[in-house]
Amino acid sequence: MKKKRFDAQKKIFYVLLVAVLLLGTLNIAKAQGLLIPNIPLITHQEGVIDLDSLNLDQKIAQMIVVGGHPGTFIPWKNMQLGGIHLFALQTEHIFNNTIIDFQYGQTIPFFVTADLEGCVTPFSHIRNFTSASEIDDIGKAFEKGFREGEFLSKLGFNLNFAPVVDLEDQIWKCRSFPGNETEISELAQAYVLGLQNQGVIATVKHYPGKTLVAEDPHKLVVAAEIEDEDIYPYKYLIDKGDVKALMVTHIIASGKVDSEGFPSVVNENVISNIKKDYGGLIISDEIHMLGLKNYYGSVDEMYVAVFKAGNDVILNFDRNPNEIYRMIQVVKAAVERGEISEEQIDSSVSKILEAKGFVVR
Amino acid sequence: MISSKVWNIINVSLGLVSILLFLNLIGVTLPTIGQAQYLLDREDPLCVIYTGEETTAFNNLDRCCLEARKLSLCLPDKIQLEQGRIDWSCSAGKNGYLLNNKAYNYCRQQPYW
Repeated sequence: MKKKRFDAQKKIFYVLLVAVLLLGTLNIAKAQGLLIPNIPLITHQEGVIDLDSLNLDQKIAQMIVVGGHPGTFIPWKNMQLGGIHLFALQTEHIFNNTIIDFQYGQTIPFFVTADLEGCVTPFSHIRNFTSASEIDDIGKAFEKGFREGEFLSKLGFNLNFAPVVDLEDQIWKCRSFPGNETEISELAQAYVLGLQNQGVIATVKHYPGKTLVAEDPHKLVVAAEIEDEDIYPYKYLIDKGDVKALMVTHIIASGKVDSEGFPSVVNENVISNIKKDYGGLIISDEIHMLGLKNYYGSVDEMYVAVFKAGNDVILNFDRNPNEIYRMIQVVKAAVERGEISEEQIDSSVSKILEAKGFVVR
Repeated sequence: MISSKVWNIINVSLGLVSILLFLNLIGVTLPTIGQAQYLLDREDPLCVIYTGEETTAFNNLDRCCLEARKLSLCLPDKIQLEQGRIDWSCSAGKNGYLLNNKAYNYCRQQPYW
């Protein structure tokens, strides 16, 4: 009787042990993103891409920039996402090797993005650059762009989220150029030319302005009255025709730009108004910031809203590959049920692929 | 020879681990110790930017977390500033972000951390 009980307990033990090992392995595989179905490889012929040959998963994936955390090579590459954003790494060598590993074997290269924009940057421990606040003439602004572009390009970056053209930086006190709106615009234009001269795309930000102002600590999303001078730099830089990317922020705007009580980044009017005069990339600020999700009943609604608003590139630095894949599926479902038009997705993907140097048919 | 009581304890433990692993696999997440610590901490979150000698309180915690995360690792530190007590330092060169425990535990819950 006692022996039978021992035998039963042993059997249960082995069954549970196998279950734990199996479930543990599946959990590890899931965490690594290995259970995510592969998105078919995008192909091109001598740099020419037929947009009709891309399926919706491929198109939506190209619109997403994620955090390029070491250890996420496999899922990000398998999903063929649009880009990776690198945080600080120990040395130039590690930056360079990480980027090479990410780009290796990609038929469509990643945008490799950085925030080299002021006095506190992910590169401060490697190289010090002059802060924008210390730049007071056009020659120095061009040189700043040129030197930063040279540095970033050497490491493998191709898109920098700078220059800041907010008229005032009350937080870091170093990210905005000095002067009035005209002077800031001229300095930013020179910086853009310097940076892009090295093959690194510049991003003017944070539309529509007043993002770097001291905030009420009890409010998650900042509201601001936007005046003519706040949007002057954008008009100036767009008129010059050199700006290839523009970042829209979460600020709730009223006045000269009206985001109708919602964060600017999810407001269709704000973004469609930019598109009237500007054909470059429109990039969303990171979507986990400033309580953006508090405006929606679920994260899924937020995902749909940020695409639907008309952003071409969406920054989502979530480390979880399964969540990024889920985002693609949620947006795909919204396109399939007609909530987001496929023409809009096509237009964004064309801009992204052209910015990456491809000819889109 | 393992006694019947020990077998029972082992089997119940393995059973519980299996349930937790299964729940995690299907996406059901349980509150972590870090989340509990954050909720129980009555202190106000504090994030301070330091650029050289100058320190500035950064009221926007969400942006603070993302900016701090961009600067690699945060290490434990004990500093008393006029803005409050600091427990963590996230730095790059001479600049960076200083956080108290409440702010740091909030940041750790963010999906990009």
